[in-house]
Formats: sequence, structure tokens, C-alpha cells
Amino acid sequence: MSYTRHTSTFRFELLPSSPESTTGFGPRLGKTCLERYGEDGVLEIVTPGFITSTSRGVVPHLSRDNTDATDAIRWAHVPFETFLEHTPPVPTLQSGSHPLHKFLGFRPNQHILTMTLRDPSDDREMPANGHSFVSAYSLRGVRKVSPGDWRKYVLACDPDIAIALSDTPFTTVAHSQKRTTKSLERSAAWLADLLQAVPSPGSEGPTPRLNVFVHMAGGVIAAARHAFSVSLLEPLYEREAETIKPFTHLDEGVSGYTFDLIPLYDGLSPSSRFNPPTPSALSTVEETVEETAAALDPPHSSSPTAQLVPLLHASLVPLPKTKPRIVHSAGSPHVMLALIRDVGIDLFDAHWAQRAADIGIALDFVFPAPPGAPDAPKALGNNLYDARHAHDFSPFADSFRTCADADARPVCPCIACSPSRHAAPLRMSALDEPLSEHAPTPFTRAYVHHLLHTHEMSAHALLTAHNLSVLDAFFACVRRVLADRPADFAGEVERFCVVYDGTMAVWEEAKATWAEVALARGKGRLAREKERQEKDALGTAVEL
Amino acid sequence: MQFEVLAKCHTTRARVCRMKLAHGVTMLPTFMPVATQAAIKGLTPQQMEGLGVSLILNNTYHLNLRPGIKVLQEAGGAHKFQGWNHNLLTDSGGFQLVSLSKFTKITEEGALFASPFDGEPTMLTPEESMSIQHAIGADIIMQLDDVVSSLTVGPRVGEAMQRSVRWLDRCIAYHQNSGRQDKQNLFAIIQGGLDPDLRAQCLDEMVKRKDGVAGYAIGGLSGGEEKDVFWRIIKQCAEKLPEDRPRYSMGIGFAEDLLVCVALGVDMADCVFPTRTARFGVALTFKGPLNLRLGKHSREFIPIDDNCPCPTCSDGVSRALLHHTVTRETSAAHAVTLHNLTFQAQVMGRARDAIMNGTFPTYLREFFSNYFGDTGYPEWCVNALRSVGVDLLEHNTDAKVVEGDGAKWEYSDAS
Repeated sequence: MSYTRHTSTFRFELLPSSPESTTGFGPRLGKTCLERYGEDGVLEIVTPGFITSTSRGVVPHLSRDNTDATDAIRWAHVPFETFLEHTPPVPTLQSGSHPLHKFLGFRPNQHILTMTLRDPSDDREMPANGHSFVSAYSLRGVRKVSPGDWRKYVLACDPDIAIALSDTPFTTVAHSQKRTTKSLERSAAWLADLLQAVPSPGSEGPTPRLNVFVHMAGGVIAAARHAFSVSLLEPLYEREAETIKPFTHLDEGVSGYTFDLIPLYDGLSPSSRFNPPTPSALSTVEETVEETAAALDPPHSSSPTAQLVPLLHASLVPLPKTKPRIVHSAGSPHVMLALIRDVGIDLFDAHWAQRAADIGIALDFVFPAPPGAPDAPKALGNNLYDARHAHDFSPFADSFRTCADADARPVCPCIACSPSRHAAPLRMSALDEPLSEHAPTPFTRAYVHHLLHTHEMSAHALLTAHNLSVLDAFFACVRRVLADRPADFAGEVERFCVVYDGTMAVWEEAKATWAEVALARGKGRLAREKERQEKDALGTAVEL
Repeated sequence: MQFEVLAKCHTTRARVCRMKLAHGVTMLPTFMPVATQAAIKGLTPQQMEGLGVSLILNNTYHLNLRPGIKVLQEAGGAHKFQGWNHNLLTDSGGFQLVSLSKFTKITEEGALFASPFDGEPTMLTPEESMSIQHAIGADIIMQLDDVVSSLTVGPRVGEAMQRSVRWLDRCIAYHQNSGRQDKQNLFAIIQGGLDPDLRAQCLDEMVKRKDGVAGYAIGGLSGGEEKDVFWRIIKQCAEKLPEDRPRYSMGIGFAEDLLVCVALGVDMADCVFPTRTARFGVALTFKGPLNLRLGKHSREFIPIDDNCPCPTCSDGVSRALLHHTVTRETSAAHAVTLHNLTFQAQVMGRARDAIMNGTFPTYLREFFSNYFGDTGYPEWCVNALRSVGVDLLEHNTDAKVVEGDGAKWEYSDAS
């Protein structure tokens, strides 16, 4: 029997070992299961875990063979707005089953795909959303997307999970209470729209339905966030009840909750979009470096996570605990650990680790942190732009061994640390002899240092695969501690924060060196790179 | 080097050879992808292996600047530095001195140029070029030659040719004293511009030095000269070069150029064209190049080429997705680069099989018919191949023939 659209079942199970805390919020171990009717196999992803970010529908810097070779990529988050450059959006025209997977090259038997309208890491100013549309960004200008459009796109693309439209303002105008109320009403109404019954193609098989996640609206006002959640649980009546039948209230049709941190950090920061910086009259080279560097800011890594926790609690208190919680744009493992510990977040996007690959950082950290207290906090990664790596023939990370080592450290399975021979090289003529056999050697910091300084794109491919693999190992170890010795988890989080530098000085350093190289390479690339940083959050410009 | 001619075309001067170097066997004729800075742009060595590529090129000028010889020596050579355990060729660095540096002055001693690091006058001598290439450790190394643009006329062309011969002697002497001849093979470079007399003199002199060189390159072309002159020079050189040495046309990468060169007796060629054009969104196919940036590809849910074995096409990556991502996502550049290098390798791989099977003239006719049948055959290709006994227009009297360089491009949405 073949797969019919919209018949995949998404389940989330909390594992019993999750330690209980007095606040009702604590770290949790879980498992998401995606089962597709008519297809063998279940896609299981254990949590806490992560979701790979995409740019223009693809994992930045990884060709499909390298995406396939990166086991850490199991779930990808696809912002749809770049496809609004064409009407109708091209992926909606893709035929066959799993059209979004097929179009973008993800494997239905390996990858879960989430489809969302907007890129959660994009905090650019945008025109206001309307009563019946969200303003989305595409290279051909701002596009208004109605809930009806969105539902049509989701039905045509058949992602595994769709995120309902949410009214999150990205305007410079201060948000009034009235605006907040309107935002909650719109977000709820737009969710209802996506929860409408899916037309059934026939009588056979299960009733088709969408796996819908909802963004937790309400901004930085705890009461508003609470009110939004409460509204999801209220029984609907009359026309609204008719819309979401057979569900009686919105939350019944919701598979999970998402939290975009960017608008929260924006709302909490006194200097953000309410006080835009004045442009400098004089533009010197130094300033250009700073500007370019500023465009690469990690997503608010140093912002106080503590302020987020009560806001996330306010959303979650009324809601059932049995659904998965996804956070977008957590700026460091420190923030991730805090949100696992204090809120019970289950999944994070990998934006931070992928961005590190853009700016030349090879991640190098483990959980729990290594024993002993270092003199100074350790960096989370190695800035391979730095001159100290020019003659450094060691592999990317000290915390992991490569395929060529045989010690007790965990192995990093990425294409850089554990490259493997191509299984079946092409032969272009009957005469060709097989290539000589040899075991590939792990890539070195000196080589990638060279590639970064010559702006060779291969550097970012190797770093992306590596960083995703390090993040994967990190979450595996978080789960192990939670499973084996949950009582120690909070202590290990604290120790991690002492051992590893949460201010991420290495990030600032990498940004500065990155900008210098960009300048050294001339204006053309810099201009395109700047344009890229302004428009697309992830990835680097193609070196032409 | 072990070099063996396995088969010759019964009609043209094309041949199939087996070239065994320190890092393995490369079958000729072949196209060599260019890894200027020790990486094929965007790809890993494992991906290159996957394409069946066994010989790539590094640029000496660039590697000498970055990472520098010290780093390469610490790494144990360029092979180890970039994780490439197959064959490698380096140029002499001379060409880039002329094309990239504004202040280069050629003296008998060597090329005097301003150091890109501190602006100080720096001398690249033939001996220094050999020494740098020894440190890089490529399987094939090139003599330092005195390069002039192929559009240069007057006494400078003859002077450069004669100096290149004298510099070859210095390179041979230095290389022979290095004791590295078992691992590294020195190629001479035929110069002489577009002047058949100068080319003839250069060929005479350099063929005399055959015992000191493992192969010959044809240099000083591919710089904007008339195609009709280009092929005649290639033909002249290939005819005079010794049978038992590989022949390498430098800077040749368009499919039609490659096949004409092979038919005239060339064994190897290199060019940045297939990889560079990929980054700009142009995919090469047997029916001509596709410009994936054009709107007409935005809704094409088919691969670049259904029959292509490359990772991109065999995985079904659609032209529509490539249209959405080219020039914006590096992974699209990687995807098209993988495809274009496979295309080049196929053009040459099929030539090897055809020469071996005695069907090379048929292969040429079919290739040109598919590639140029709709837009017209470049006249220079027709003439060049007629000179070695293949008439592209045979049985095809209606075929259109066009003057000029005939390079085929998909420029706009108009077509």
C-alpha cells in the first residue's frame, strides 16, 4: 500500500525517568515518533535533541551527499518564505508523495520536515501584519500570506509538521496593549484555520490530518502569554467550532508548542527596535569591520536567559505537559541547558552551531564538562581563522577522537573527523582502473585555516558537518545524564557553565577575523556578503 | 612515470594512454579539474574520488602565498595537506605572476615582482620555481616559462620563447640534482605565441631535451586568440611532439575545444571553466550549457540531465531547486560543480572508449551533432577536424556552420 498525503502520525512520549521538580517544570526525556500510514518504519527522535536549520530550503554548505553523510541531521526546519518569490510557490507544484522532501532532497525515511512561514532567526523590521495576513520576506519583496494561502501551501507540500501562522509584530512602533490583544486573537484564529479537517481522498485508510505546532504568542507580557494558552483550551462555539471539527478546542488539534526567542529578546532589550541606532556620519574601515561583525551577532547569546524562563512558564502552565516544546534561536549550549533544566524544553534548532560554521568556528565541547576547574573558562570551539592554527595539524576538536585515533574519547563521526572512502566511485570509461586504495585521513585545523583565509567554500562544508555532529553528541550526553543520574543534572549544568565560556569570547574573535578576511578579499564579495547577512541569517555568500 | 600508448585512432591523431605516477594510474586523454588553493571549490577530496577523478591541479603561485611552503613541508607535502592521495600537477607559478601581478619584470635571471605581502621586489627564478614545486610535491611539475599574452606581437614573443628554452635547461639541471625524478615528473612548456616559425624553433629545441623531461605542455594559448589560429598551433605542436611523452594543453576546458585537441593528439587539459561556470549557475550538458538562473528553469522538476551519473542528477535534484538556490546557497554551487566535473570526465571517458574501440570519428560526429546541431557547428571545429580526416558535416549537408569562436551559451529567457 502506498502512502497517502497527510496520514502521518506524530506522537510524543515522555519517558518515565524524567525527574519531577517542585515548580512543575524540570528537565524531561522524551521520544517523538513519526509514523507514516502505508510506509514501513517509524522515525524516532529522542529528546532533548535538535532540529537542523535550513536556508532557502537546504542545509547551508552541505550538498545532498554530505547531508546524507551527516547522521546528526534527522529533523529539518524549513522556512517557506523564500519560495514566495514565485506564485504559486514552486514546491507546491512538485508531484508525487512527500513533495517537500522530494523537492528539497530530504529522505522521507530519514528526515522529519517542519514547514513554517517565516525564518525564526530573522529579526529584520517588517511591515505590519494585517487582520488576515502575515507579512513575509522574499527576495522579490514583502509578500502578504493569508491563512488560506498558508493552508493551501501546507496541503500541497505535505510536510511532516506545519507551524500555524502567528501574529508576531516586527515593526518599529511600540506595541500597545490593544495590539497585543489583537495578536492573540489573530494567532488563535489562524491556528483554527490550519486545524480545519483535511479533505479525504477516499474511504480507505485513516482520516487525513495535519500535524500542527503552534507558536506561543503574547510577546514579553506574561499575562498575555498565559491568556493565549488559556484560549487554546476554551471550547469553541458555533462557526468556530464548526471550523475545527472534530476538535472541541484548539489545543486538542495541536501536536506541540514552539517558542521563537528572537522577538522575546527584542522585547526584553531596552535598545532594540524601539531605539534604532543612528547611522554614523563617518565611515572608516574599522567601522566597516564592526558593522560587518555586528551583522553576524550570534542570536543574543549574552541576553539574560533568566528573564525568559517566567515567560515560557506563563505559556506552559495552563497547557498539557505531554506535548513537545521547541525553542528557536537559543544562542548557546548554556541557554539550551538552562531551558532544559528550568522549562523542560525538548528540542532546539541548531542555528547557533551552524552559524559558528559560517564564521570559522569548529565546536569543541562535551557534556558533562571535563573534570577539574580550568584557570579560565574554556572556549566552546576553536576559531580556525586564528593564526595559531596555521601550523596546527591536529583535528578539529580536542574533546573528540577521529577515525584515526584509538583512545577513550568519543569519536566524532563527521565527514571532517571521520571521512570515509566513497563506496562506489564513478568510472568514466571501461579502461579506467580503480583508484588506489587508502584510508582517508581526518582533516586538520591547518588545512581549514588555509581554506578560510582563501575563502574556499569547502571549509564551511566541513565545519557545518562537524558542528552538527558535536551538537548531536552534546544532546546524547544530556540525555544520558538525565537517564542515568537525573539528580546530578542540575549540578552538571552549573559545572558546564563554569567550565565553558558562556560569553562566547571566541565568537566575537571569529567575527572580527572573518570581517578582516572579507575586507581583504575586496569589495565585491563584501558587498554581497553584507547583503546576504542582512537578508538571510544563515550561510555565506557563494565565492564567485 | 610509466607511460604507455594503448591505442591510436585509425583516422585522427587521438590516442589512449596509460600514465602511472607515484600516486596511481591516470588514463589519458583526461581533463584535470583545478584546485587552485588546494581545494576543488566547495568539495572534499572524498567527493572528488567519488567522481572517479584521479588527477587534479594545484596552483604554485597561490600555494606559495598561502599556506606557504613552510606549512606544506610541515604537513608532508600538498597531497597530505589537502587529503588527496591521488595524482597532482602543479604549474610553475609564472602564468599567475604575469596575470595577477602588475609589477612583474622579466629578466634573464627570473621574474621580478612585487611581493603581495610587503611590496618588496622578489625574484622567482627557474630554480626557485622547482624548489617550491618540490616542496609542494606534485606528481607532475612544470618548468618556469616566460609567458606573454597570446595577443602579443613583435620581438617579445621570440625572446620569451628563447628564454623559456634557456629556463627549461635550468629547471632540468635543478630537478636532476634534486634526486626527486622518481617521484616528480618535469614537463616542458612549448612557447612561441601564434607564430608557427617560433613554435617550430621551440619544438626543435625542447624535443632535443626529451631525456630531461617526462612530458610536454603547449602553453601560451587560450588567451583570446582566434580559434582558427589556436587549433593550427595545437596541431603543429602535437604533430612534432614525441610519441612517448604525454601532451598537455594548458587552460583548455570547453567541451568542443577538448575534443578537437584530443583529435589533434593532445592527452591532457585543465581549466577553471567547468567549476567557475558552475558557481555562476551554468550546468554543462551534452546538448549544450544550461543557465539555471533563467526563469524558464524555475518550474522544471527534472534533473539537469536524466542520463547523468553525477551525484546531483542521479539523486534527482531538480532544475527548479537549483534555480532557487544557485548563486545564493553554496550547496547549489557544490551540486552544479559535481555535475560539471562529471560532464567533463564523461566527455573524455567516452573519448577514451571510442578511441579504444575504433569509433572515435563517430563519437565526434555524434557529440557535435547533439551539442551544436541546433545552433550551428563552429566553423573552426569543422576545419580542425577535417584536417585530421573527420568531416562533421558528412551525411549532414543541411547542417548550419557558424563563424567565430562558436561557444554556446544560454544567455537569456528569449530562446
